[in-house]
Amino acid sequence: MKIKRLDMFQIITLPAVIFVFLLFILMLSVYFYNALPAFFREGLDVYFKNTWQASEIPSKEYYGLAAAIWGTVYSSIIGVLIALPISVAYSIFVIDYAPKKLKNIFIIISDMMAGLPTIIYGIWGAFILVPFLQKYIMIPLYKNLSFIPIFSYPPTTGYSYFSAGVLLGIMITPFASAIIREAYQMVPFTYREAAISLGLTRYEATKILLGYIKPAIVSGMILAFGRAVGETVAVSLVIGNSFNMSVSLFAPGYTISSLIANQFGNAYIYRHMLPVLYAGGLALFIIGLIVNVIGIYLLMRWQKNVRI
Amino acid sequence: MKEYAIETKDLKIYYGKKEVIKGINLRIPKNTIFTIMGPSGCGKSTLLRSFNRLLELNMDAKIEGEVLIFGKNIYGEDVDPISIRRKVGMVFQYPNPFPHLTLYDNIAIGLKLNNLVKSKEEMDKRVRWALEKASLWDEVKDRLYEYPASLSGGQKQRLVIARALALKPKILLMDEPTANVDPVGTKNIEKLLFELKKDYTIVLVTHEPAQAARTSDFVGFLYLGKLIEVGPTKYIFEKPKNELTEKYLTGSLV
Amino acid sequence: MSGYKTRRGKDISFIIGITILTFLGILPLFHIIATVFINGVPIIAKKGISFLTNTLSNGGIGPAIAGTFILIFLSSLIGLPVALLVGIYAYEYPESKIGRATKTLLQIMLEFPTILVGVFVMSMIAIPMGTYSAIAGAFALAIILMPYVAVYTQEAMREIPFTYREASFGLGLSRVKVIFQILVPLSKRGILTGVLIGLAKVAGETAPLLFTVGGLYESYPASITEPVGAIPLLIYTLVQSPSKADHMMAWGASLILLLIFLLIFIPIRLKLREVRL
Repeated sequence: MKIKRLDMFQIITLPAVIFVFLLFILMLSVYFYNALPAFFREGLDVYFKNTWQASEIPSKEYYGLAAAIWGTVYSSIIGVLIALPISVAYSIFVIDYAPKKLKNIFIIISDMMAGLPTIIYGIWGAFILVPFLQKYIMIPLYKNLSFIPIFSYPPTTGYSYFSAGVLLGIMITPFASAIIREAYQMVPFTYREAAISLGLTRYEATKILLGYIKPAIVSGMILAFGRAVGETVAVSLVIGNSFNMSVSLFAPGYTISSLIANQFGNAYIYRHMLPVLYAGGLALFIIGLIVNVIGIYLLMRWQKNVRI
Repeated sequence: MKEYAIETKDLKIYYGKKEVIKGINLRIPKNTIFTIMGPSGCGKSTLLRSFNRLLELNMDAKIEGEVLIFGKNIYGEDVDPISIRRKVGMVFQYPNPFPHLTLYDNIAIGLKLNNLVKSKEEMDKRVRWALEKASLWDEVKDRLYEYPASLSGGQKQRLVIARALALKPKILLMDEPTANVDPVGTKNIEKLLFELKKDYTIVLVTHEPAQAARTSDFVGFLYLGKLIEVGPTKYIFEKPKNELTEKYLTGSLV
Repeated sequence: MSGYKTRRGKDISFIIGITILTFLGILPLFHIIATVFINGVPIIAKKGISFLTNTLSNGGIGPAIAGTFILIFLSSLIGLPVALLVGIYAYEYPESKIGRATKTLLQIMLEFPTILVGVFVMSMIAIPMGTYSAIAGAFALAIILMPYVAVYTQEAMREIPFTYREASFGLGLSRVKVIFQILVPLSKRGILTGVLIGLAKVAGETAPLLFTVGGLYESYPASITEPVGAIPLLIYTLVQSPSKADHMMAWGASLILLLIFLLIFIPIRLKLREVRL
């Protein structure tokens, strides 16, 4: 009785859908294809070695992305660690404590922060945040605690993993907040009542409710991490862009995206650099894909469970 | 053999694996008001939506058996559901005029999108005709270009009836049309039904036995997906044969 | 069980703690806006209207502003139709395999590193064309715009009560007419919100333009197949310059960009819809 056939609606819409899928596959293929020469020449070393020898003589060229991958992950983790407490606190504050009028204002502020052009974070980060962090956080910590490895690098410029991490933290907080706030709002009111009626204080009640949305917090953090990993211009203006590989927070470093942003323009001068940058892009692509798929999957699963 | 407005033959409807309509044979004569009554959840709305193939909007729904509209099986091989729906108009439980369209456009849209009306004059005439049929013209003729939000629930519902009538259907399906309408509006709509009976066959769904008694010529009592009893209204209300029907009418059916 | 006093104390310090953290979280926005104004207003005041019209060497960002608007326009032209169709498809088939895959793909693209889009478009358009161009930049931005608008379209349409869908089909209309001529207009406000969010995003993007538009700040763009500039890209370039004067220009350009962003963002918020960028 129900005949499966393509109706006019599908004839109109399906091509657009197919186009987008093809575009995405094409994008992945372009990175893979253009990265191939790097794999043939250097194997997986391209990801695990930390060298960057550009040379006029092709045989002397050798590139490894390890520093950039490290910098990407390190600064993003710092960002997430900063975003976690703030976005959770923000969600609790907005849902549980803020008066109704203020609530909307807080939500607008957060949405605005999420949408603000990243280059504006970049210019503010480079000219305001970095000098501030250098003067009030990095130098005091270095002076007093430099025996601890993470504080051991002298913050001469301020451009560092730490600066990038803090800026990323500021940038991804509103994004993580939106996910956590929505999740926290979805907690059925009866749980709230139940917790309070047990004679718990608000702190204790909140702790229980937070346990309930833990999966949403986790996926919010994963998605925020994905965002941080892909951020380009703001990070490249504050991380120092140096092929460093260090756990020291105040050392300058590189990220994959800022490496691409900085090196792509002159990569054509060299014989072997371009494929390596594509290999970096491929890594970013795949990290982004995996992180986002996991984050989206966890979030959807949680939302489904809650609705039932 | 007499041709009925609607006739079902061993009609079964499933949602997924759950059978919600369990083999129904029903005949609805032309130009009558036929009421399907029953407690909520008995399958009334589902049954009603099988008469114009609107059930297909629900992906899970599966239909077996036949539904004949004026003798033609609408679930036949080469039947276009779109043409069926033009012949069988529908009014819904929640008064749902399109909120983004003016009163005029709410009536006109079906005609316009179906390319049934050529000129502006003809459209004006048809809109007026439909609104008059729905006894709404006098109330709205001065504000045809306002939006339905300004109407009362009963007016909205008559607007929806006019929207359906504008397509000149043969049959009008009404799914608890007064469930969200106040008593005055309900009275107006019930009065309207008597008027419409002259030209249309009306199938009404209600969970209110009193409404069935007031309005209809025939009544069918549907319970848990089965048609328990069918007959002329008077007969069913005065001398129900089936124990379940009696229980339902006296309010003791849980 | 700890005593009432310690519990109460914990409660109070908890409330103080989350309040402080919350304000710490939103503080940067105020600081950023204030800084952009404090640093941007003087330079614009000094140059006057010529800041908006002159070329870069004459102390203005006119070509960059023109470039940004050209890019917004072109990328909408390319991206919006596809976005709307994809969003409508995802709404219409929420449970089918392709429908679900589409929704997931849109979510992934929403979070996708934008620089990768830039490099991709460079290799597909700029290199074959042999030049940077507005059209290449517009393609890159269209790819970024698309998932935003599609997701918001799908969500806006999902909010339409089912009864309107029934009513539309009940009038004997085909799926195409029901969707495009009744349900899409019915949710136009929500869809428009999505479009504005997409535009706000596109207006501020830098990374996808790095290797696609080339930059053009000494003359106004004349053709879409030639390089153009853009405000975010100009800021990025100026910030990296060692010259103090360039930094001043960067602040001025940032203020203009911020104002453009607010111009698009405020109408969205006035309708008070949930917005996620």
